[in-house]
Amino acid sequence: MNKPSTQQTILIYIALTIVLIVFMTPIYLIASSSVKPSPIMFQKPPAFLFSPTFEHYKDLFGMRPFGKFILNSLIVALGSTAFSLTIGSLAAYAISRIRHKRMNDVAFWILSMRMFPPIAVVVPYYIIFKTAGLLDTPLALIIVYSTANIPLTVWLMKGFFDEVPTALEEAAAVDGYGLIETFLRVTLPLAAPGLAVSAVFCFIFSWNEFLFALMLTGSEAQTATVAVMSFWSSDAVQWGRIMAGSFIILIPGVIFVLTCQRWLVRGLTMGSVK
Amino acid sequence: MAYIRKRNRRIFGMFLLPAILVLFLTTIYPMIYAGYLSFRSYDLAKIFVPRVFVGGANYREILSSSEFLHSLIVTFKLMAMTLSVQLVLGVGIALLVVQKLPGMPLARTLLMIPMMISPVIVGLVWLFLYFPEIGYLNYFLSFAGVGSIPWIASTNWALWAIAIADIWQWTPFVMMGTAAALQSLSPEPYEAAMIDGNSRWDIFTRVTLPQLKPVLVSLMFLRAIDAFKIYDIIFVLTKGGPGDSTEVLSMFIYRQSFTFWRMGVGAAASFVSLIIIVVLITLFFKSLNRDQAA
Repeated sequence: MNKPSTQQTILIYIALTIVLIVFMTPIYLIASSSVKPSPIMFQKPPAFLFSPTFEHYKDLFGMRPFGKFILNSLIVALGSTAFSLTIGSLAAYAISRIRHKRMNDVAFWILSMRMFPPIAVVVPYYIIFKTAGLLDTPLALIIVYSTANIPLTVWLMKGFFDEVPTALEEAAAVDGYGLIETFLRVTLPLAAPGLAVSAVFCFIFSWNEFLFALMLTGSEAQTATVAVMSFWSSDAVQWGRIMAGSFIILIPGVIFVLTCQRWLVRGLTMGSVK
Repeated sequence: MAYIRKRNRRIFGMFLLPAILVLFLTTIYPMIYAGYLSFRSYDLAKIFVPRVFVGGANYREILSSSEFLHSLIVTFKLMAMTLSVQLVLGVGIALLVVQKLPGMPLARTLLMIPMMISPVIVGLVWLFLYFPEIGYLNYFLSFAGVGSIPWIASTNWALWAIAIADIWQWTPFVMMGTAAALQSLSPEPYEAAMIDGNSRWDIFTRVTLPQLKPVLVSLMFLRAIDAFKIYDIIFVLTKGGPGDSTEVLSMFIYRQSFTFWRMGVGAAASFVSLIIIVVLITLFFKSLNRDQAA
């Protein structure tokens, strides 16, 4: 890319400013509305300077056990992340190291498991969990989210394992390390960034999920996304609480983007764009 | 790979087994179960009606119902609307943010935020913007001379209201993938094209686009697979309405299964959606393999 001229630079910045305003406005609205007094919530022109209020956050945690729903979200997200990382990175290591012509097919089969429409399996899940007595438990959601998180981990970790030079593993073998020792002491530490990235992706996906949480939980295991939606009803929409809850829910994702955006491409395209 | 001995092969097999087993139990088994349900009458609203094998009756019912076909059409219409805008906008913004100018890395980072927001929150904030009478969007648009638009209350606009929310969330995905690809392009063809005196547009269409094509195809397939599954945003914004103007396939399955409690019919529709997604996934993998071979 050659350097743009001054005139082009100005045009580029004007276009970029418009793009940024359009894309950032909804996020700004969530943040500002969560601390805006209800009477001026929809005031036009919108109030940019107002004395912030924390009444919506107080309502959120006071009137309904929102803290419990956040805890549920955390349990489910952390549980599914731990489970998926363990199983997924083991499988990824095998796929990365076994030289066999069918290995590619196995990898694609695993990836395809992530792409099925959730709504198509929600009815069977509902019936299966109902029969097993697991409806409205965090365990049900941990299992369901792992079906999406394991394929993601396998594909991300496979990419990271591929980059660990096998010469190091061969040297470890010469030193008398067995395969499992080599994996745990040599390969896995070298692929640690991959583990971190996979963990964050699994966490965010589970944290953000709504459909399964809505269908498979009730009052006990309800997660934060479902709880926020419950402030919406056709007769009275409690915008203050919705926005306060939304703001809390979007914090992990925003932190992730700001701290490790260079891994986003790889994670979101599952390695098809590096 | 001398260190992979026979014994190690068995250990590798043990590494792989848990993932395959778990995925089989949690994904393949429910799908087989959905297939089984789709051949039965499983009506939770009528508890005294026996749940019997009904052959292809559920399939005959959905395939001959105009509602089901309508939901398929709406799904693909929404897919066409969102993908085309995301492609053009995403590539356009990517071309802006890859310029070597101050502030561009920050802009790229900020623009990625929408992707990491829960779709249900995306739905809620757009509901806030679209809300009849009081929402801010029409107010903002009035400055551009646009008259009041009944976004989610009108059968003409509701699908666009959903498309816009999805476009807002996922244009950054196309932007991000395209920007990554643009930054890895080699400079030689550009230098050659410049020496030949081509215009910027010519260089873009003849040098840049052909090199971007494999990445854009991948990105569009990933978007298409996601667009086919769209659910949360619609659930928040319109629940398929007004009328049936935004009833995509997911909403059809949801309503059959959980509003009318006709699980058999819902399962049959689910199975049709599985077949369509298998076709999409197969095409996507084929295109990936072709790129690797090339």
